[in-house]
Amino acid sequence: MQRHTRRVYGLCYRFTGNAAESEDLSQEVFLRIYRTLASYQPSYGAFPTWLTSVTRNILVDNYRRKRRERLTDSIEETLPQVEKRPSPERSPDRLALDAELSEQLQQGLAQLSPELREAVILRDLQGHEYAEMQLILQSPAGTVKSRINRGRIELARVLKEMGVGPA
Amino acid sequence: MNWNCTLVEGNLSDFLEGALSAEESAGFSAHSRSCPACAEMVEQVSALMGGMRRVQAPEVPPRLVKKILDATLGPQPARQGWRRWFTWAPAIWETRFAMGVGTVAASFLIVFHAVGGPSGAPQKLDLSPVHIVHAANRQAHLTFARGAKFVSDLRVVYQIESQLRPEPEMEVPAPAVEQLERPTPKPETEPEQERKPDSKDPSSTTPPSTRDLEQSSPRENQEQAGAAGRMVLAVLRIQPVNHARSLS
Repeated sequence: MQRHTRRVYGLCYRFTGNAAESEDLSQEVFLRIYRTLASYQPSYGAFPTWLTSVTRNILVDNYRRKRRERLTDSIEETLPQVEKRPSPERSPDRLALDAELSEQLQQGLAQLSPELREAVILRDLQGHEYAEMQLILQSPAGTVKSRINRGRIELARVLKEMGVGPA
Repeated sequence: MNWNCTLVEGNLSDFLEGALSAEESAGFSAHSRSCPACAEMVEQVSALMGGMRRVQAPEVPPRLVKKILDATLGPQPARQGWRRWFTWAPAIWETRFAMGVGTVAASFLIVFHAVGGPSGAPQKLDLSPVHIVHAANRQAHLTFARGAKFVSDLRVVYQIESQLRPEPEMEVPAPAVEQLERPTPKPETEPEQERKPDSKDPSSTTPPSTRDLEQSSPRENQEQAGAAGRMVLAVLRIQPVNHARSLS
């Protein structure tokens, strides 16, 4: 239970960047899993893959709902805010041991489109294989690989603009 | 295949994950070496992937599991009796709890050692409050006595060094220098008594200079060493250090 909770909460937090919202979404994920557990079929993939797939669907629903709400709000309040403070050029390898990289990575992920963001999170932060990602994203292999590649390049560009770059 | 910037960008992840063939990797690398923009992009994405592999997963809130269980299985009945006192038990497995316990244990060990706890295997008697207070009192007095002894020793050493240090040479005014350079007849009557008045007076405590020691005879050296020894004893008598009294 702890392991699955960690996986679901981590995916929610990396996608939304909000701890309280991630907690509510994790709760919603397990509630849906609990209700639809009887309909689970092996064709959905292994249980962790299915769990991630359900989490991703709830994240997409949540994103669309928030986007609709966002149309009534001002753009400045809803756009992800990235703190562009001047910081010296530092290598992500060195920063990996530092919690600061996690925060900067979170800010960088918020700049990506949802498609690229979820692809990078699932592949590089959650370690899913390409076959699993095809099931989770319900997309062909070429699309999955293309999103991962473009997401990495875009995230590296955003982090460079934030002052986080290779030494 | 003719590798250009578009192809390199499209195959970047395959290259970094080792999914390209040997021929494709060679073409990719050849273009990256010749194109600074592509080389920078490859370096940045490679560093980013390395960094993301080391990023820790976000810490799960401690109450999240209980909230999920309450939402799925329904609110759990409140624990009755002694079990309600152990609702915090699941938090033991949190990383922060283990780190906190380790920090507190290390602090206790440091304090226990500082107040003079036994270095060997502890016994039951060592944990009695009377013994702990007595040990702390003894450790405080020992620390104070060691400090006082150190300061006294430093003072004695500095006094001896200041007495033995050769006096700085007096500055001679310019006319005197000219006078020294000119060949002048040596005075015949009083030079010996003027130059070495201390060497014949054992009671004098004026230290001989290094030059005097080098130029003096063995007998004079013995006399001067005796004077230095008496001076050291005089200094030590000035600042008596009774460690036994301070330790008691």
